[in-house]
Amino acid sequence: MSILAIDTATQVSSVAIAQAGRLQAEITLQARLTHSETLMPHIQQVLDMADTKAADLEGIAISIGPGSFTGLRIGLATAKAMCYALDKPLVTVSTLAALACHLPLPGICLLPLIDAQKGNAYYARYHWENGGLVAEDEVSVGAMADIVAGCAAEKRPVILLGDVTQRRIAGCMELPDNVTIAPAHELMPRAACVAMLGLRELAQGHTANVMDAAPIYIRRSEAEVLWEKRHPESVSTQEAHAVLVPTEGKS
Amino acid sequence: MSRKIPEEWLTLGLESSCDETSAAVLRGGREVLSNVISTQIPVHQKFGGVVPEIASRHHIVNIMPVIDEALRQAEVRLKDIDQVAVTYGPGLVGALLVGVAAAKGLAFSLGVPLIGVNHLEGHIFANFLSDKELEPPFMALVVSGGHTALVHVKDYDRFTLLGQTRDDAAGEAFDKIARVMGLPYPGGPRIDALAREGNPLAIDFPRALDEKGNYEFSFSGLKSAVLNYINSEKMKGHELAKADIAASFQHSVIEVLVTKAVEAAKAAGCGRLVLAGGVAANSGLEARLREAAQAAGLRFSYPSRLLCTDNAAMIACRGYYQALSGEYSDFYLNAVPGLGLSSRVPDDHEPEEG
Repeated sequence: MSILAIDTATQVSSVAIAQAGRLQAEITLQARLTHSETLMPHIQQVLDMADTKAADLEGIAISIGPGSFTGLRIGLATAKAMCYALDKPLVTVSTLAALACHLPLPGICLLPLIDAQKGNAYYARYHWENGGLVAEDEVSVGAMADIVAGCAAEKRPVILLGDVTQRRIAGCMELPDNVTIAPAHELMPRAACVAMLGLRELAQGHTANVMDAAPIYIRRSEAEVLWEKRHPESVSTQEAHAVLVPTEGKS
Repeated sequence: MSRKIPEEWLTLGLESSCDETSAAVLRGGREVLSNVISTQIPVHQKFGGVVPEIASRHHIVNIMPVIDEALRQAEVRLKDIDQVAVTYGPGLVGALLVGVAAAKGLAFSLGVPLIGVNHLEGHIFANFLSDKELEPPFMALVVSGGHTALVHVKDYDRFTLLGQTRDDAAGEAFDKIARVMGLPYPGGPRIDALAREGNPLAIDFPRALDEKGNYEFSFSGLKSAVLNYINSEKMKGHELAKADIAASFQHSVIEVLVTKAVEAAKAAGCGRLVLAGGVAANSGLEARLREAAQAAGLRFSYPSRLLCTDNAAMIACRGYYQALSGEYSDFYLNAVPGLGLSSRVPDDHEPEEG
């Protein structure tokens, strides 16, 4: 039984079909095409390549964030609609954890970074222990320059991952002696890693709710932050929700 | 597998272009089995307008429950759906993308056709749902938040765009003026309500492009005139006669819309005039247009209030007629936030003159 995995969290578009212990097919593009146009055709193609019918999938794994808000929503809306129509379970995988899956090296701090705009990145530290991936802290957001400089305090080698390191860190800032950037083909998000972590989640029965699953944004919208700054007195008031418009009945 | 006859087709429509998440099921082209609309008006109210990122965040959470509810209310199973129609523009790009991605996921998984629908054409087609007997040809006056246009609907797949706004849409002027007068979002219905208590002839605001035979619209001059008037009244320390301002502004907008719409219908030899778009819910516009159409011997109709809001039933209706002419989309369909109305002539027709 195979799983379909999707990662549209960054500029990289990646889809994969995998079974436990076996990657069957993967399409990964870093070509600045829009996810909206290419995702569904890629899913169709990767299923064909793996000679797998959508109806025969065991489930769908989605890279849930953090990442580009719009990219995450395109991936998740597609995954949710497919799970709903095919009656398959949905599993969510941290985009950062999937990146840390690339390099299962013991004794090393893996530091995946995802673009958070304006020189900032979402990040968390990971390491491998007894064949398992361990997250060391909660996902944070900070200035890329500070994150990189802060690595000097680590008493172990640090490897940076994430396609943003290629664009914003490599050659742009000085790296502390204990820091290296993963090779180009290893630093971008790949759905194969999402699939491997997703299979594990699925085996453990950790499925997401297809009805209301939401991306992990970490950050709130700028409009909300600004509004709360201007209205400090109403910060704790209840959040407003969408409401159903009363219908006129059947026609 | 042979396809059912078109009258039996079940079309699932999706709409997420702005602040409403909607899903609907249609049997054939006209029978609405369900039309579920989840509105985010309470969410955006405190910001005084729709915040795109917040709208997208609500769409991604609401889309599946809304689809599920639409199927439940229609009492049909997802696997019986014959095609999926979705709004791909115009609208907010992040909001549109949620609906487009979900529609693709559904259409692919079900193995049914995908149909990308122009939201503005959807508004015109809402009239087919309100009036089951309505058939082309007719003249359509489209008035929505972002668009104002006159469209000669010659057939289900044949339109001629006679003119549209050169600058601001009527709806934008309504929203901006409401904001300046301190009315809460959404401003259009507030101005409409206020206008009923005011004198429409109290202030003489300008009407642009009102020469005969010109079917283009311009509301930026009017908007500036109203804003200038409000500013100068404030400078003079006068209490704002809000009801009179609303009534006079609305009167000026309505006169331009009504005059051009009736003239266009007569010039094109149409016996019918329909109103379409979000601003069609404006009671002043509807009443005046009805009166003018009657005086000119034109039949007039407009969608019910529910079908004037952004809803998926009108998208499913437009999608149904596109499917009848074989106008499907492939899975490369993208959101087109700036999509406009344009004339459309099917492949097997010669382009018309003029």
